[in-house]
Amino acid sequence: MKELFTMLTDPRFHLVSNVRERFGQGPEPTYVRLNREGFSIDAGIKKKTLVHPYMHLATHPFAGKGDLFAPMYGEITDITERSVFVRHMEPTEEMKAACEAEPMTDILACEERGEALVPVLKAMGLNTKSLGQECETLIVNCQNPDPGVTWAEPMLLTHTRTLAAGLTMLRRLSRAQRIILAVPEELKIKVHDFEVVPVPSRYPASVNALVVKAVTGRERPDGIGIVGLHNVWSLGHVAMTRKPLIETVITIGSLSFTGNYIVRDGSTVGELLKFARVTLSAGDTIVRGGPLRGESVDKQDRSITKGATGLFLVEKGSVAPMIGHSPCVSCGSCVAICPARLRPDMLSRYAEFGLHKRCLEQYISSCLECGLCGYVCIARRPVLQYIRLAKAKLGISVLKTEGLYAQEEATTTGEARS
Amino acid sequence: MSAHTNSLLFAMSAPPYWHCGRTVCKRSMDQLLALAPAMVMALINWGLPALRVVALSVVVCVLVEVVCCAIMHRRQTVHDFSAVVTGVLFAFLLPAAAPWWLVVIGAACAMLFGKMLFGGLGDNPVSTPLIGWAILFVSFPLFMDPNVMQLASDYEDPLAVLKYLGVARAQEISLVDLLLGRQIAALGAGQIGGLLVGGVYLLFRGVIRWQIVLGMLAGVLIPFAFVHSLAETATITPTFHLFTGSVVLCAFFIATESNIAPTHSLAMILYGLTCGILVFLIRSYGSYTDGAPFAILVASLLTPYFDLVRPKPFGVR
Ligand code: SF4
Ligand code: SF4
Repeated sequence: MKELFTMLTDPRFHLVSNVRERFGQGPEPTYVRLNREGFSIDAGIKKKTLVHPYMHLATHPFAGKGDLFAPMYGEITDITERSVFVRHMEPTEEMKAACEAEPMTDILACEERGEALVPVLKAMGLNTKSLGQECETLIVNCQNPDPGVTWAEPMLLTHTRTLAAGLTMLRRLSRAQRIILAVPEELKIKVHDFEVVPVPSRYPASVNALVVKAVTGRERPDGIGIVGLHNVWSLGHVAMTRKPLIETVITIGSLSFTGNYIVRDGSTVGELLKFARVTLSAGDTIVRGGPLRGESVDKQDRSITKGATGLFLVEKGSVAPMIGHSPCVSCGSCVAICPARLRPDMLSRYAEFGLHKRCLEQYISSCLECGLCGYVCIARRPVLQYIRLAKAKLGISVLKTEGLYAQEEATTTGEARS
Repeated sequence: MSAHTNSLLFAMSAPPYWHCGRTVCKRSMDQLLALAPAMVMALINWGLPALRVVALSVVVCVLVEVVCCAIMHRRQTVHDFSAVVTGVLFAFLLPAAAPWWLVVIGAACAMLFGKMLFGGLGDNPVSTPLIGWAILFVSFPLFMDPNVMQLASDYEDPLAVLKYLGVARAQEISLVDLLLGRQIAALGAGQIGGLLVGGVYLLFRGVIRWQIVLGMLAGVLIPFAFVHSLAETATITPTFHLFTGSVVLCAFFIATESNIAPTHSLAMILYGLTCGILVFLIRSYGSYTDGAPFAILVASLLTPYFDLVRPKPFGVR
C-alpha cells in the first residue's frame, strides 16, 4: 500500500540501477589527506618524509583495523592529530625502486584460517572487524547501500574474479557455517557454490537489519552476522593485486551524472568531483557517503577514505532547503514511512526539547537510521539528526556496538571522517 | 593546500540530502486543488452567495493568522497557505446564506481557539474548522441550520425529509441529485460529487490516509446496512446516509487532518470506524440530523487512546 500511495516515487530508490560498466580508474591525486585518528605513526615517518605507493605509514592498536599506507608518490607536508597530508611529487629513481621493492603478498596462498588470518589482512590495510564476526550465519549484503550508489551490480556481475577471490577469503576468515549472498531479486546470478537469496531491492531494503530480516524472516535474530559487499570487494582487490589496500570504490554522482571509480585513499572531494567533470557552484552541498545517510562536508579538501561508499553533489535548489527551527506539523508522513514502525515525529520532538529520556519510551533504539523520515518530512525537519542527537545523549550507540551495523559505522561515522 | 581550497561556499546540512519535494505549502496547494471541484459545484448550485461566504472566511482566517503571529512574536507562517485551506473548509460547513457576521465570528474563533492558541499548524488536538463550527452551532443554532437559512431554495434537505416526513418521502430523492449537490446542506458539504473527486485525488497524492477514509465510510455504511437489512419496517438505504449531511466532507477532508488523527494503520482504521459509528448513533438516536462534525470532534478527543494501539517496533520482542 505504501508504494501505491506515493511516498517513494523517486525511481532512484530502486536499488538496481542496471549499471554494468567496469569501474573507471580515478584521478592521480595531487594531494591527499589520510585519516590517522587512533593510529600510531611508524618510526621515521615525519614531515618532509618522501613516500611511495604501498609504503607503510602507521599502525592501529586495534587488531581489526587495517594499517595505513601511502597511496602515491609524494612528500608528507604535515601530520596532525587526525590526518597525514601528502603532496604529490614526481618520483625520483630511488622512490621508484623503493616502490618496486615493496613486497607482494598473495593472501590467497596463505595457510592461515580464521583468527590467524586477521593479522595478515591487517598488514595489508584491511579492516576485518565486520568480516570475521562471531556468528553461525554470515550474510553478504549485495545491495547498493543508498539510493544513487551504483557499484554493487558491477561488483557482482562484471568484476567477478575480484568477487570470487573476496568470497574465498571471506570463507577462510569467517567462522560462520553458512555464508549467504543477499542479492537484489531482479538479478538472477549464481556465484560458485555460495547460497544466493533474492531480497527486495527498493530502499530501505538495503539497510543491514532489513536485509537480515528479508533473508531470515526474523527481526534482529541472534547468531547472524552481516557484511557489506564493499568490504568483500576490498578483500578480493587485495587478493588480486597482492598489494596492500590503498584504494576504494565509490560512486560519484550529481543530478545529471553518475559513475563508479576506483579512487585512492585520501583523495580530496574537490579533485574527485573535478575529475568526474561535476561543476560546483556556491550553495551546493557536497555529500560524502550516500545521499540518505551520508554527511555533508564543508571544504573541497576533505577526503574520501577506504570505507566511503560515494560522493554526491546535491545542487542548490534541487531540494527544498532546511530552514532553521521548523516545527513539526504532525503530517504523519514519517510515521507512515518508517520501516521500524516508530514515531519519528515524537522522537524528533522529544529530542528537540531535550526530553531524551522519553525517546526511550518511544523505542528509539529500534531506529535503523535509514533517513526516510527526513526524506518525507514536509516541514523539512532534520528528523534523523534529532534522533541521532537523542541517541548520543542517551549513550545508545546501536550503530556502533552491534555487528549488524558494523558496515554502517565504518561508512557513516568512524572512518569517513577526516 | 591553497590550490585545493578555493573560495566557493558550500551548504552544510543534516542527512538525508535528498528530499521527496513535498512541503507544507505544496500540501496546502494540493488541498485547495482538491477542494476546487466542490467549490465550482457550490457556485453552480448556490451562486455568488457561496463565493461570498468562502472569500470572507478565507480573508478572516488569513488575517487572524497574520495578526496572531505578530502578537505572539512568532515566525510568520501565513505563507504556508494552511489558513486558506482552513478558511475554505470552514466556509464549506456554513449555509450559503450565512450572514457576514456569522462567518467572521466563526472563522476568527476557529483560527484563534482551534489553531493559534495551541501553537500553530499541527499542534491543535481538535480540528480547526470544526472548532469554529461548534462554537457557532451552540451559539447560533438557527443561523447554522441550512434548512432554515435556505428558504428561498427549490432544493430540499434530505436529512430533514427523512426525519420529519418519513422514509417513503426520502426514498424519492435520487442519488444523482445528491451527488450533484442538488440538496440543502452546508454550502460545500453538499457538493458530494466534487468532494469525492477531490478526496480521491488527495488519497493518491498521499496527503490523506486511506485507513481513515475507509474506516469512516465503513463505520457509516456497515451499521446502516445492518439496520437496513434487519429492520422490519422500511428504512432508507445506507448510501443515502453517505451522500447527505457532511459525511463525505468530513471523511475525506476533516477527519483526515493528520494532527487530530492517530498515526499507525490499525489505530487510524479504528479511529475512522469510531467516527462513522458515532455518525450512525447520532443520526439514529440523537436530535441532530447530520452528526458528522460532532462525531469527529468526539473521536479526535480519543486520539491519544487510539495512539496506544501501535505495532511493535522493529526487533522489539
Ligand atoms: S531513520 Fe527515521 S524512518 Fe528510519 S528507522 Fe529511524 S525513525 Fe524510522
Ligand atoms: S514528517 Fe515531519 S512534519 Fe510530518 S509528522 Fe514527521 S516530523 Fe512532523
